[in-house]
Amino acid sequence: MRKLLEITLGIVTSIGGFLEIGSLSTAAQAGAAFGLQLIWAIVLGGLCIIFLVEMSGRFAAVSKHTIPDAMRERFGFNFFIVPLITINLVNFLVLAAEIGGICISLEYITGINFKWWPLPVAFLIWLLLWKGTFGFIENGISFLGLVTVIFIIAAVSLHPSYHDIAAAVIPSLPQRNEPGYWFIAVSILGASITPYLMYFYSSGAIEDKWDKSDLGMNKVVAGLGMSFGSIISIAILILAAFIFQPIGIQADQYQQLPLLLTKIYGYWGLILFAASLGIACLGASLEVSLETAYMMAQGFGWNWGKNVHPKEAARFSLTYTIVIPLAALLIVAGINPLKLTIFSMALTSATLPIAVVPFLLLMNDKNYVGDYKNGCFSNAVVLFIIGMAFVLAVVSIPLEIAGG
Amino acid sequence: MKRTTLLVRDILDKQLVDRNGRNMGKVDGVIIELRDDKPPRVTYIEVGAITLARRLNSRLAEWVKSQFTKVRLARSEAYLIPWSKVRDIGIDVEIDMNAETCAAFKLERWIRDHIIRHIPGA
Repeated sequence: MRKLLEITLGIVTSIGGFLEIGSLSTAAQAGAAFGLQLIWAIVLGGLCIIFLVEMSGRFAAVSKHTIPDAMRERFGFNFFIVPLITINLVNFLVLAAEIGGICISLEYITGINFKWWPLPVAFLIWLLLWKGTFGFIENGISFLGLVTVIFIIAAVSLHPSYHDIAAAVIPSLPQRNEPGYWFIAVSILGASITPYLMYFYSSGAIEDKWDKSDLGMNKVVAGLGMSFGSIISIAILILAAFIFQPIGIQADQYQQLPLLLTKIYGYWGLILFAASLGIACLGASLEVSLETAYMMAQGFGWNWGKNVHPKEAARFSLTYTIVIPLAALLIVAGINPLKLTIFSMALTSATLPIAVVPFLLLMNDKNYVGDYKNGCFSNAVVLFIIGMAFVLAVVSIPLEIAGG
Repeated sequence: MKRTTLLVRDILDKQLVDRNGRNMGKVDGVIIELRDDKPPRVTYIEVGAITLARRLNSRLAEWVKSQFTKVRLARSEAYLIPWSKVRDIGIDVEIDMNAETCAAFKLERWIRDHIIRHIPGA
């Protein structure tokens, strides 16, 4: 009974925590520009993150190591410094994008320009972590995140052709605007395969003292949670294909996005959209801020934990205390949050090999996972998808920048 | 029980834990003493940013050293933990010391006493 409750909670929190500004805006732009055609990218990205999240839970439960800890121990400091810097840099941009998402949702509700919000929002995020309450509010925020299920309800209410949706699961070549097509595909992959999510998950497993008896639960939670989460992204893509594409809206301005729900639900659509975006981005901001501090603490051997008092973990607390306001300053400085989001998602794709390949090596190292090491199939799936994301990113990011 | 332990694979870069289970850094370096007419022996574990910087680049190490001495945060060399204090090597390396009174914990204490303590709510 207790296990069942844990599994349900795990799945619910994964669904509630899946959506953030990255998956929302990339899916919306994909639907707006290419109709249903890019659904395959969400499916591939979702498949990859299912495998990776399952692996990171299994790794923590069996080896009792967090990923950064093991990565440094296994490959040495001189190698570790490379993923440490890369992942932290990408996390920093993602954090700024998520803060931007919260600010935009506040603008939707209050009408006050988003540029006024980053510092108060940064203060709120910091305070929630500083008070050491994250462990308590984590589940609450994820539950509230279930409001994002509204996108599925809205998409179903449009009666899309399920035959067309199923057909779009198979990758196809674009008929026009090829660089744009591949760039959005890359951003979607980056938004789905978020390294911070899998690193964060492994820290949680260590804090909750998982062992081998939790492996079954881990499989179910990773599989179902991430699948349902991906379905929300697909629903947003469908909504954009139905609502934006016919009237030629590109979804490249954040003011356009609430139309996905207001077209169907009117004023309440705006409230629901703002709530979905705000809650999803708040959850993600908390996770990314913590993840940056985790990565430093686990890499350098400091005390860490989501419920520890700042005095008990001074360097850990100092890390997020510095990073959160700095990220907010990027938004204050006037960077367009939506552009920043799409760019940091594409950058995530480009850096996936650095974040994932060393982890895959650990997942195949008997010294860490013994008999629980990866099979050929899961290695192949993950390598294939991140390899593809990387190649597409390296080709399409320069083209996108050159093309403006 | 006898186990083979490899210095680089099993000890270097491992988590250090004090006798109360507190994280007190990583094994950033291992010092081996070379002796005349006797086999070399492991004498110290090195901890700290200076050691880490030296592993990357000697000029970087000099720079870190000068910065640390400037704010009087550290002596001008790395922190050393005697090998005789090692109690167990498993997932972590356990040390029979108290992090609070250990030099390797100086930066953590300094940040706590000079920064964290002054922020309301801490």
